[in-house]
Amino acid sequence: MDLLRLPLAGSLLKKRHARTLLQIPLFIISAAMIFHGLLGPQLAPRNLATTLTWVHFRGALILVLLLAGNFFCLACPFMLVRNLARKFFHPVRNWPRRLRNKWLSIGLFVAMLFVYEWFDLWASPWWTAWLIVAYFAGALLIDAVFKHATFCKFVCPIGQFNFVASTVSPFEVAVRDHDVCESCATKDCIRGVREVEAPLVTIQRGCELALFQPRKVGNVDCTFCLDCVQACPHDNVGIMSRVPAVELAVDPMRSGIGFFSKRKDLAVLAVVFGFGGLLNAFGMISPVYALEQWLAKLFRVNTEFPVLASIFTLFLVIEPLLLIGVASWITRVWSGSQRPLLLLAVRYSYSLVPIGFGIWLAHYSFHLLTGLYTVIPVTQSAFADFGWAILGQPHWSLPGLAPNVVQLFEFGFVTLGLLGSLLVSYSIAVSEEMVHPVRVFIPWATLSLLMAGAAFWLLSQPMEMRAVALGSG
Amino acid sequence: MKTADLTFAHEISPQPPRVGKVTITLNIQDTSGAPVAGAHLALEGNMSHAGMVPVLAEAKEVQPGRYQSVMELSMAGDWKVTVHVTLSDGRKLDHDFEIKGVEP
Repeated sequence: MDLLRLPLAGSLLKKRHARTLLQIPLFIISAAMIFHGLLGPQLAPRNLATTLTWVHFRGALILVLLLAGNFFCLACPFMLVRNLARKFFHPVRNWPRRLRNKWLSIGLFVAMLFVYEWFDLWASPWWTAWLIVAYFAGALLIDAVFKHATFCKFVCPIGQFNFVASTVSPFEVAVRDHDVCESCATKDCIRGVREVEAPLVTIQRGCELALFQPRKVGNVDCTFCLDCVQACPHDNVGIMSRVPAVELAVDPMRSGIGFFSKRKDLAVLAVVFGFGGLLNAFGMISPVYALEQWLAKLFRVNTEFPVLASIFTLFLVIEPLLLIGVASWITRVWSGSQRPLLLLAVRYSYSLVPIGFGIWLAHYSFHLLTGLYTVIPVTQSAFADFGWAILGQPHWSLPGLAPNVVQLFEFGFVTLGLLGSLLVSYSIAVSEEMVHPVRVFIPWATLSLLMAGAAFWLLSQPMEMRAVALGSG
Repeated sequence: MKTADLTFAHEISPQPPRVGKVTITLNIQDTSGAPVAGAHLALEGNMSHAGMVPVLAEAKEVQPGRYQSVMELSMAGDWKVTVHVTLSDGRKLDHDFEIKGVEP
């Protein structure tokens, strides 16, 4: 199935300014969120910045990734502003070679998770608004100085989340017929369409993320911007259906990426994605406060930073290193594999993506589904806050789905993620290990089961939301 | 706690508060210390996370100037309660207080 060949959606997405049309509403909503976050009520459930960011945006993003693909990067409002700015700024610099990897963006992704907990972003319209401003500023600044889609590919933490998560999406931007590409002389999908009489003038961009369509595999680094669709002179690029997560099980040379098995940074991103999902959910339940109090007493501190830093180090560094290290070691010893420990760790870390996705999906869908209709009274209230009560009095009692109903979905999502991880690790083992593939599979299956078990425990804990006051007993 | 020229004092039961029904008792006095009777009190409880539906409750006057309400706190953590007060002379005002550390 090719989404671009669907009657309505297809013709809309193929329009030259389709992306801009999708970006404009999100830009207007972002501007409203910033405005309300800075000037509106500072109670999070009453503010557009916090409600839309932490309930609706995150939930819709992960559901769209599950059901379709990376359409949120397609409609990214930061890129709308950046594209406008590029009409005035024409960057000539290339992103430094030593930064052409995911290490910086992994750091920023972890920093985002940390700042979320440290500043209680979920409870702060003010800080949430500034976070949105920072994203706009970051995209503008980076892409005003550096060529191509530097911000998207090497910096944006949301983008990295989407790239990893979209490996389990059922659609990808892909070539329809590879034979057509074989005979293509212009390679416009990567070079862009040039003015005939002035070959240095680009009239349609090719892929700014260095993904050459005929050799592109999967969704990593693809923002669904559809520049390649516009640029292809043969109308040979579509948004094609595929089996979710299969791209994690294979390891061909990928355009713009290389081999998964040689990309330690991508493997670490996959691990941070998985364990970060657990950590982010852990921050919303009762036991985290007991742990914070215990750590504060142990360290004799009454500030949150060192306590949070310890928790992040434990759950995002020590725990993954230990578990993946042990799984790699058992794999090597038990199966007699001759592959180095690090290579095993890198290769099989990708199998943790589906379970990580299931955990994020369970967490975010909980907030979205239980707070689904809160956007209505918050929007009514936002209009009223600025003296324009055209939507009537806010209906604060509008509920979402009952938490006990949503919990069933949550368990289903984690189970789905677990099945995905088991299938991916089994596929890698069968295709890459000649001897004892089952003995290779078992340690990694156990790791996925452990993560799923931790997720089930987290989801069954009572939620708790409070501002942390350390040292208060 | 003072809002405008009135003094509010609240009591929560049980202590420590737990998820479920809690009884909130409010005493309202004017500047001379006399109880403020005949007011209408509507309580609204909010959590700090976006997407949470507020918990709404009405308060009954059990003695002159003493009002009691039962709220169903649906989640552990910190709650912010806003009391929407309509005085007997029609004046309206809001009074906020927090219920910290509601236990699961």
